[in-house]
Amino acid sequence: MDDLQFRRSILADPNHRDDAINAKIKQDPVNKKFTQDVTALDDDIAQALNINVPSELVNKLMLRQTFASHQQQKSKTRMHLAMAASVAIVMGLMINIMLFSSTYKNLGDYAIAHVNHEAEYFSNQSEAAISLASLNEKMAVFNGRFAKAFGKLLFADYCRFDGNKSLHLVFQGKTSPVNVFVLPNNEDIKFVAQFSDDKLQGRSLHFKQSNVIVVGDKQEPINLWQERLNQNISWSI
Amino acid sequence: MATKQVRYEALVKALHADLYRYSYWLCHDKHIAEDLVQETFLRAWRALDSLKDEKAAKSWLITILRRENARRFERKRFEMSEYEEANITDVKAASNEQHIENHWLREKIAQLPAEYREPLVLQVIGGFSGEEIADMLSLNKNTVMTRLFRARNQLKEAVDNEPKLRGLDNG
Repeated sequence: MDDLQFRRSILADPNHRDDAINAKIKQDPVNKKFTQDVTALDDDIAQALNINVPSELVNKLMLRQTFASHQQQKSKTRMHLAMAASVAIVMGLMINIMLFSSTYKNLGDYAIAHVNHEAEYFSNQSEAAISLASLNEKMAVFNGRFAKAFGKLLFADYCRFDGNKSLHLVFQGKTSPVNVFVLPNNEDIKFVAQFSDDKLQGRSLHFKQSNVIVVGDKQEPINLWQERLNQNISWSI
Repeated sequence: MATKQVRYEALVKALHADLYRYSYWLCHDKHIAEDLVQETFLRAWRALDSLKDEKAAKSWLITILRRENARRFERKRFEMSEYEEANITDVKAASNEQHIENHWLREKIAQLPAEYREPLVLQVIGGFSGEEIADMLSLNKNTVMTRLFRARNQLKEAVDNEPKLRGLDNG
């Protein structure tokens, strides 16, 4: 190592020592003096570089961070709120669909459920009470009328069942009342021509605006009832 | 969350002073230096999870700060090469004599070209080795050592050449 190299090395890093540098320092007092001078200068430089740090800087840094993480949390809670709201909306929609959609998918189910629901109110032995005129008055709502009386009409009134307004007629049957429903066409309910369960059977007639359904027990000649209805009924529109 | 907070606080307490000094010598302005440090620590907080090695924290922070400083120039280009005396910090030192000496040397350091000053600050304040500085500044080690040599050489010459003036100041 020559003198120039030595000086360069000391000036580049005064604290660096290796065998070559140590040898140079021992070898020549000038080199030793130079090293001491540079080390002293370096202490001065270090002191000069050590400017005062603003005392409140630490607090400022903590404060900025607190705000930053607070904002992060805020956006997180907002996110949670949004998720909760979405779940609530979905729940609301589901409940809506379940409550207000038709429970019965076809006319047969609807009619049988209706009959079973009201079976206890009607007796086959009760007196006939409804005249043709008052029946047709009620039929006018559905734009229909019967040409002549047939069978023994025990009951005729509007019924609301599963959200649909319908006209419910009860005739005297052989062993149990025969139910006739006149109800407007409803897209939600599928039309079925024939249906039955273990006790009841039924037929449906499809007209332009309305469906006419006959339901009776298995002893009842439902075909005959249906035929009578079909011949008697007429629609004004 | 709590551990992240603890890590951040430890980082701030341990390194904010060095970072501020480095920042100051980079930009020569107390307020900009403070802004840079704040911005740096804010970014550090957001990216704290990516800091795996605590030993690398200092050079990590310095790298962030250098990037922030560079960004400052992208946004607004103003002349920083011209050194203004008024910008140099007037700090309270232990004694008046020390104060004047420091002030004189500070001026000399501030007058160094930026590419010489930066490695010197990193070496003296940061305690980084030549290799580490080369890494941070994306230079090779020989270049860094040459710049360090030139920086000290210029300061030494300045000290050697102005004994009278300093004597007057001190007197």
